[in-house]
Amino acid sequence: MSPATVLERCATGIDGLDNILGGGIPRGNMVLVAGSVGTGKTTLCLEFLVRGAERGERSLFLSVTEASSKLIQNLSTFEFFRTDLIEQGELVFVDLPSVYDRLGLGKEELAPEEIDIVIRTISDLVRSLGAKRLVLDSLTSVCYRIRKDEQIRDFMLRLGQELNEAGCTSLLVSEIGPTPGRYSLHGVEEAIVDGVILLWNTRRLGDILRVVQIVKMRGTAHSRAQYVLELTPIGILMAPHLKGGLEGGA
Amino acid sequence: MPVDIGERLRALPGGSAVALKLDPREYADHYFAVLNATLRDVGSETDAHTIYVAVTNPAAFVWSLAQALDIPVERISFVDAISHIMMNYSNPLSNATYVESPRALEEIMLRVEYLLRKFPHPRSIVVIDSVNSLAIHNPPELLSEFFHILLNNLKSRSVLTLVLETSEEEQKGIEQMLNLVVDETIDVARMGR
Repeated sequence: MSPATVLERCATGIDGLDNILGGGIPRGNMVLVAGSVGTGKTTLCLEFLVRGAERGERSLFLSVTEASSKLIQNLSTFEFFRTDLIEQGELVFVDLPSVYDRLGLGKEELAPEEIDIVIRTISDLVRSLGAKRLVLDSLTSVCYRIRKDEQIRDFMLRLGQELNEAGCTSLLVSEIGPTPGRYSLHGVEEAIVDGVILLWNTRRLGDILRVVQIVKMRGTAHSRAQYVLELTPIGILMAPHLKGGLEGGA
Repeated sequence: MPVDIGERLRALPGGSAVALKLDPREYADHYFAVLNATLRDVGSETDAHTIYVAVTNPAAFVWSLAQALDIPVERISFVDAISHIMMNYSNPLSNATYVESPRALEEIMLRVEYLLRKFPHPRSIVVIDSVNSLAIHNPPELLSEFFHILLNNLKSRSVLTLVLETSEEEQKGIEQMLNLVVDETIDVARMGR
């Protein structure tokens, strides 16, 4: 049975992910990439941008937690990374803290009008660059300065609208603890976004495996199965998480 | 006159999955014959790229054995799933990728995938040495699932897969499981070498 309308896809360029999403993320969707430390969130997001830039879709990385120079240094260990994409301006890195400084947003908690400035700044950056892909790493760090649930809800709704109108598909990194149960710092973020990609580490007889699951993705049918993820020099590869007859994986 | 193993394997179409049954009483003889047949007769002579999944012996051991047998080794890559747990990882081979444990079955699948993508070749061969060694470390249900997924994936990409199996009375369950996923079993004891 085929759906009435098939939305245009933004292929992530990660074959395993595109396969389970039926070709990619519906274009303009805002997706939460949630996971604890060392699960591959940033690498997944970076590959999404590099693959996009290779296809001629200008890609923007907004870094909050790590200096871009260090990210680029780490990225250069992957064979799929091309420095010429940065030189040509197809792959753009911006450190959000320096933008905060320029805008005078130095306080620990952002006031409502300052939240407006952050949304406008991101939106202006996306529109002026003509960016079709955006990664915000991390949403958690931004929301840490917003605090109130209703303000986070409002921030997310407006940001999502702005990015969708610009035809920009976005991945927002959400840092969570190792215990599953929620996908974001406040618990409101996952309700607003169009999709949730969850990553976590699991153990099998003492060995640690990285696992990924699409929890939610508006605008497309998708697999909800668990997949083991491997960060290889040629990019992210995925294989079904073996269960061996056991619920939740062996 | 019996057909030799290499000839039989060369005649297989791409995408076949074959179990090579070794007799434990003649293990060394059979293993050398299989190594010659898979790495030289099928791998080297047909100009294929071979991915050898080493679970019984470390890649370095198989590598030196192949060299001692004068088998051209330029187009052989290894997925080594045993050196780490044997604490034998101090001198890694440049043409090997190392998996931390033979229990990490998904990682073995992913490393095979990685090598297939890294070295795209019109004719690729995957040798898994062996189902018995994997069975030591993994429960049968998990192993069945692993072989079912891996072999189907390789078949769909026309990769010839050869699974080494030591026929032992106490491991009849493994043999039955393997029979369900391979296209045929070649009994090395009954073949000319």
